[in-house]
Amino acid sequence: MAAVAVHQFVQCITCHAWSPDQSMIAFCPNNNEVHIYKLLQDKWEKLHVLQKHDQLVSGIDWSGTSNRIVSVSHDRNSFVWNQEGPEWVPTLVILRLNRAALCVQWSPKGFAVCRWVSKVIRKKHNSSVTGVSWHPNNILLATTSTDGKCRVFSTFIKGVDTRESKTGSSSDPKFGEQILQLDLSSSWAFGVNWSPSGNTLAYVGHNSMIYFVDDVGPSPLAQNVAVRYLPLRDVLFVSEKMVIGVGFDCNPMVFAADKSGLWSFIRFLGERKESSSGPKSGSQISEAFGKLYGQSRQGLSNDTVEPSKIQGAAHDNCINCIELLKQKGPKTKRFSTSGMDGKVVIWDLDNQHDLREYL
Amino acid sequence: MKNGFLPRTRSVGSDVSESAMMAGAEKFVDADNAEAIITRIEHKSRKIESLLKQNKPVEALKTALEGSPPMTRDERCKSANWIVVHRALMTIKDVEGMFSSLDPEYYDILMKYLYRGLSTGDRPTCDQCLRIHEKLTERAGLGCILRSLADTVNTV
Repeated sequence: MAAVAVHQFVQCITCHAWSPDQSMIAFCPNNNEVHIYKLLQDKWEKLHVLQKHDQLVSGIDWSGTSNRIVSVSHDRNSFVWNQEGPEWVPTLVILRLNRAALCVQWSPKGFAVCRWVSKVIRKKHNSSVTGVSWHPNNILLATTSTDGKCRVFSTFIKGVDTRESKTGSSSDPKFGEQILQLDLSSSWAFGVNWSPSGNTLAYVGHNSMIYFVDDVGPSPLAQNVAVRYLPLRDVLFVSEKMVIGVGFDCNPMVFAADKSGLWSFIRFLGERKESSSGPKSGSQISEAFGKLYGQSRQGLSNDTVEPSKIQGAAHDNCINCIELLKQKGPKTKRFSTSGMDGKVVIWDLDNQHDLREYL
Repeated sequence: MKNGFLPRTRSVGSDVSESAMMAGAEKFVDADNAEAIITRIEHKSRKIESLLKQNKPVEALKTALEGSPPMTRDERCKSANWIVVHRALMTIKDVEGMFSSLDPEYYDILMKYLYRGLSTGDRPTCDQCLRIHEKLTERAGLGCILRSLADTVNTV
């Protein structure tokens, strides 16, 4: 089984983030608070409750470099929390957003995106920004939005950032300059993520599509992959050639690139009730459509399950957040997912032998 | 500088949805060229009639679906195309057999037309569309339905 641990914390989780040593987890239990739990002797203990926001906390990130937590909320504010002794002390960050902040991420070097770029990003986005992701070089920033577009900005500041440019371009882009705008999706876009090298970008659309973009620059190479199933909400690169997508199917999906760089869906990671390629694909589909088509489904009466539950699956509601965990070895890949069922599930690809070639 | 431009796409056959490639980059044809589109559809219609006479309903459907949806906001063009697709759809007797020779690249566009058919309320049309919808969903998955609902740009 790929899911190695399942923790039921609360009823519903909007987002989660791990401390640098992964001994603690911070998440929002679908309200205006941030809860911090610590694993003490195999039991999760609630250590702190950070209460400063007025509305739903929609994004949390825990900096790996500075041990600070940043949180953003529908109340259009952002707080940076510093641990001073036993307490977490908040510092308000004025974002000047007209609408709710939905996502936040620390850059690799420790700058939270909302602090730096909110004003600039606001100019270019007319619709909600649903996802942000820093390129490993700490200069490029990718965003996805409900207008369906994925944009890449430069946050390069002369004199502050050093540019290791392979292309050797003499004209450096200005701070906040939009490098690229991808118009691949006709519906809301979510969950953007860069590959470890920064060569490839992936994001998803609410129209059950996942997009892979190479050569992000003046001449990008895009690949649209149609997903058979319900839409995804978030994606994560676990290696250059493997992406995990999570969403409304409550089960992580594995996408991988073959030798020529063509991406395709490999399989679901978790347990699934029935094979999805069989004629009676998925009891949930037959359940729902049985009534629509007005035919009796005697053969499936033993497998009747509630449409939203799949027996044996780790999550039983939409997964909306996926985070990479610290790896134990060179080849093992671990990540965590949290969802609307209030669970945080730890996944390990170690014993998934068919996936090893992509790691 | 063009704002929302279309990047080069890798051809992956059935996985690349044509409408996804077109969205945002292709300019919509205005009313003046609607006549040209209608002429093309009439030409398609003749080809379809000929294929039906040769007892090739699946070929007829493929022909009807090709070039759909017409890249226009003109309702007459959309209706004209629908009539042609509808004609081909209603002649399909063996739905399972149809899917064994229909390429997956047609799935998304077929799903859109099935919903148009279901919205007519006409009993024979709805019966046929429902029969095909069941099989198409088994083949193409829920994602196909999602795409036909979510795409408000390339409508049929």
